[in-house]
Amino acid sequence: MHAFTALLTRLGAKLSLYALFTAGAGLVLMTVMVAWGVFGRYVLNDTPIWVEAGSLFLMSWFILLGAAVGVRESDHLGFEVGLAMSPPPLRSALILIGEGLVCAFGIAMLVYGSQLAAGTWSDRMPIIGISRGWDYVPIAAGGALIALFALEKMLLFVTGEKQAPLGFGHFGSEQEV
Amino acid sequence: MELWVLFGTFSLLLLIGVPVAFCLGIASVATVVYMGLPPVVVFQQMNSGMNAFAMMAIPFFIYAGDLMIRGGIAERLIQMAASLVGHLRGGLGQVNVVTCTLFGGISGSAVADASAVGGLMIPQMKKRGYDADYAVNVTANAAIIALLIPPSHNMIIYSLSAGGNLSIADLFTAGVIPGLLLCAALMFAAWAVAVKRGYPREPFPGLAAVGRYVVLALPGILLIGIIFGGVRSGVFTATESSCVAVVYAILVTILVYRQLTWTAFVEATLGAVRTTAMVLLVIGAAGAFGWLMAFLQVPQATIAAMKAVSDNPIVILLMVNIILLVLGTFMDMAPMIIICTPIFLPVVKAFGVDPIHFGVILILNAGIGLNTPPVGSVQFVACAIGRISIGESMRTIWPFYGASVAVLLLVTYVPGISLWLPRLFH
Repeated sequence: MHAFTALLTRLGAKLSLYALFTAGAGLVLMTVMVAWGVFGRYVLNDTPIWVEAGSLFLMSWFILLGAAVGVRESDHLGFEVGLAMSPPPLRSALILIGEGLVCAFGIAMLVYGSQLAAGTWSDRMPIIGISRGWDYVPIAAGGALIALFALEKMLLFVTGEKQAPLGFGHFGSEQEV
Repeated sequence: MELWVLFGTFSLLLLIGVPVAFCLGIASVATVVYMGLPPVVVFQQMNSGMNAFAMMAIPFFIYAGDLMIRGGIAERLIQMAASLVGHLRGGLGQVNVVTCTLFGGISGSAVADASAVGGLMIPQMKKRGYDADYAVNVTANAAIIALLIPPSHNMIIYSLSAGGNLSIADLFTAGVIPGLLLCAALMFAAWAVAVKRGYPREPFPGLAAVGRYVVLALPGILLIGIIFGGVRSGVFTATESSCVAVVYAILVTILVYRQLTWTAFVEATLGAVRTTAMVLLVIGAAGAFGWLMAFLQVPQATIAAMKAVSDNPIVILLMVNIILLVLGTFMDMAPMIIICTPIFLPVVKAFGVDPIHFGVILILNAGIGLNTPPVGSVQFVACAIGRISIGESMRTIWPFYGASVAVLLLVTYVPGISLWLPRLFH
């Protein structure tokens, strides 16, 4: 159990880092694309029509990879007053149930996202010309990462190792935006 | 019964600490399964919810603000504000409010305001003999102004939650006067407390120094003009203007301020991912939840319930304000806007309230909620910087709450405060 948890933690750390940097690169690329659109319209007098579709495609990856990292780092917006007020045994059970539900939702994203991708694979997206199925791949991939990271947190909690942050973020999240 | 499944599951999951995005998604799946529909529809709606071009403005604005913070804009704005209002009674409190207002035009985020301005101002105020609770309460309340002064990405979240048909340019414009009004009210509260406690004035540095500090801060302030002017004039869409803001922030912080390092750039990029991906997932999951609420006719039921209590718009707006203030004490800003807009917007529209006006009311309510425990993220940040407890802050926060609530009531019952400026542009 401990060996498996350690393996999962190592894998989770790597995947989380790659996901975070990929999402960051996606944000930079989105900036470049939209800026190019503005430059094309006002300077080149030739609006590139692929900008909106291309940047939207990148945004799906940005959201779902970033959100998966948020699951591992317990950065998601939540309401932890109920957890904080519960007696310790109940709190532990609630944390496990909550993580289990997040894991299950991640699996559902993987399954149904894959279904949607497979069902639309033969259609083409206008303008950027790739398969419409790609539109749903981020949901499936993000779901797989969310499920994996939630499972990692559950195992760390059960085995008493606390390498990854536990619970669902800070009491009174700082993620206001 | 479907409504019980939807809201019951959502509330239960929220109570046991499940993140909001997953509460929305799981409650939607549970309801869809209960109704005998295929669960795949939830993920289809979720995907549609994440596919709006206007959404991209949210990470871009956060990114631009973060780059400007790391590039040294906050120090320059403080210098400028100090030269302008530091000579008033309780000078550093006034400087704090004015800096938060200017900085709000760059960051658009109350937490960013509290941490960037508070991080510099609170220790300085304490060192100059101001009480920590005063420094914390001025910062925390003034940070809320950022939510109203353009570019407020919360206005974009509201526009998206309202179905994406509301003009972001109008929403940005509608926030200007309420934001300035809140600034004036908080300056008055800061002055009144300063007089009572005998806080000093700072010496006036002279017009030449004022001019020098204005010039130094000008590249940052120009960003507000580029964004607001760009969107208002129709030269850019909100998304394009936010992207231009990112490019401008990179250029200014590298070429003019020469303070942005490669490490700071990477940190700002990853910070923007961390901060916004979660909010965007909430918006996506709310796409499915909102679709179910519309399908189950929740807004119509809420209108009927409100009409049963009163058909007077003044009473209805008061009720909505009280509900929003209570919700704001334990809900974060973005989830509150995303969940409350589809429920309350149709209600207030039924009573003749303009959706742009309601956006300002909702955002100001949610903003005040950021300074109220148990979940008051801005207050927590300011207290952490000032090294005081929430209890210590709460004992003396009341003059500032008073100022904010007074502005809220004015904004609620005098629609012209929000709507006059957008109408002027039309």
